Amino acid sequence: MSIGVGSGPGDWPEALSTIIEDFSEAFDANERYEMLFELAEQVDELPLDEWTEASKVHGCQSEAHIMVGLNENGGFHLRGAADSKIVQGLIAITTVALEGLSIAQVVAFSPLFVEEMGIASALSPSRANGFLNMFKKVQVEAASLEGPDG
Amino acid sequence: MTWSPSQWPTPLRLDVKAARKDFPILKREMSGGRPLVYLDNSATTQKPQQVIDAMSTYYRTSNSNVHRSAHTLAEEATLGFEESREKIRNWFGATESRVVFTSGTTEAINLAAHSWAKVNLSEGDVVVLTEMEHHADIVPWQMLASEKGVELRWVPFDLETFELDMGAYEVAVQGASLVGAVHTSNVLGVRNPVELMVELAHQAGAKILIDAAQAAPHDRIGFDSLGADFLALSAHKMGGPTGIGILLIQEDAFQQMQPFMGGGDMIREVHFDYSTYQENEHRFEAGTPRIAEAIGWGAAIDWLAKWDMESVHEHGLELARFTADSLRSIPGMRVFGRQAERDGAVVSFLHDTMHANDLAAMLDAQGFAVRTGHHCAQPLLRRFDIAATNRASFWLYNTREEASAFVEATRDICQRFS
Repeated sequence: MSIGVGSGPGDWPEALSTIIEDFSEAFDANERYEMLFELAEQVDELPLDEWTEASKVHGCQSEAHIMVGLNENGGFHLRGAADSKIVQGLIAITTVALEGLSIAQVVAFSPLFVEEMGIASALSPSRANGFLNMFKKVQVEAASLEGPDG
Repeated sequence: MTWSPSQWPTPLRLDVKAARKDFPILKREMSGGRPLVYLDNSATTQKPQQVIDAMSTYYRTSNSNVHRSAHTLAEEATLGFEESREKIRNWFGATESRVVFTSGTTEAINLAAHSWAKVNLSEGDVVVLTEMEHHADIVPWQMLASEKGVELRWVPFDLETFELDMGAYEVAVQGASLVGAVHTSNVLGVRNPVELMVELAHQAGAKILIDAAQAAPHDRIGFDSLGADFLALSAHKMGGPTGIGILLIQEDAFQQMQPFMGGGDMIREVHFDYSTYQENEHRFEAGTPRIAEAIGWGAAIDWLAKWDMESVHEHGLELARFTADSLRSIPGMRVFGRQAERDGAVVSFLHDTMHANDLAAMLDAQGFAVRTGHHCAQPLLRRFDIAATNRASFWLYNTREEASAFVEATRDICQRFS
């Protein structure tokens, strides 16, 4: 099992590698969806009253919201929610992938992990684009946490 | 030899098994080797081999531009193109009317808006629309309203019976210049009383445009006998190719229209300081038309002419009724719309805890293609206070086994995930 920082395939953080492995061992698409639904329940959920225009992910078929921040150790922490459980599951995986990383690592993180989970093929192009839009928004907002001087 | 409707065979009662064999895509295997169950026919239907062959043969043997050159290929292309227009004219009972090719239903309605309404309506004139309209029959009129100061009046429908409020309609058409009405709703499946709507519109002195995009695959529409002034529809929802449709126009409305697109093919003479236009349908078909698409559409109509359309209608409606009734037995499932005698083969539904996109993605993983979203009818969905539904829609190749499998897969997913 690799212990990486997410520069691309083979370099995923440990928690993400575990999820990827679980997904790759899934019996069929239905089981992968079940796993996604379970992960969706575990996300640090952004409550409805914090859903604003600023937190909204555009270009996603469902209503999805994210909020970036830092955890008690100063590492990256993501909160999010969506009305679609599949999308919320994808946000959950992203939170696991990026948890505790430095801002620089978050900004450099590759979104290719979603393909390794065998989910992308089951997603419509518009929803897959929705994932990329969400991921891009996370990275752009993470960069802004660092301030103009880095 | 010129084409005549006598070349169509005596139609047979629909044989679903035989019909299916003509659609190569229905043999496709989806993920996990599951068969494709295509239930998104209201968005577009699949194409029979005969249509694919007609378009391919045209490109391989006769490709040329139409109405221009005097060589063999040009003559064959022109003949094929104009022959398709005659097939379409006959199929839709428009032998006394005009058949103008467009890119589809949307462009057909926009053509009526630009070439008839913009020319003949002015500030304060009224256009009546129903709350069931597709965006294609809403947005062009909103554009007209903001440009010309035309007033839009909306006819509501009942949220439980899904019927248009015909009392409100009768009031709304008084003093109106034009009505835009959907023949069969793409969300609710409801077939509106278009004959009565035409009669009441004409009594009030208004013209009426019917959006028949969803009716064309299931009904033989008789345009001349219906008496509507305009009728818009698309080829791709009835087995033909994408990119082509028609606006059928009664003669007096046709004479009141002015072209809004200028260019080749629509002119009679062009001078440096002025031009004169063709007097037939070509007047509204500027530029090189969709030749292969027209020929493909003609082949689709020839193919459909094999089947008794009444049996096609009954088959789709029977599948829709079975599906709607079965879906209603799933806890938390809400079905929108109606499957009464002349209605369309459409079932819209929404589960109270399962997101429409999630359900569609999981159905897709099992080989079921259904539509999800607002179906280009956001104002209609807002009447129900929802933003999206799932929708299963049927055509002549769908089977009872497919409908059963679809309902069971939906039931299973809802039990497992909601």
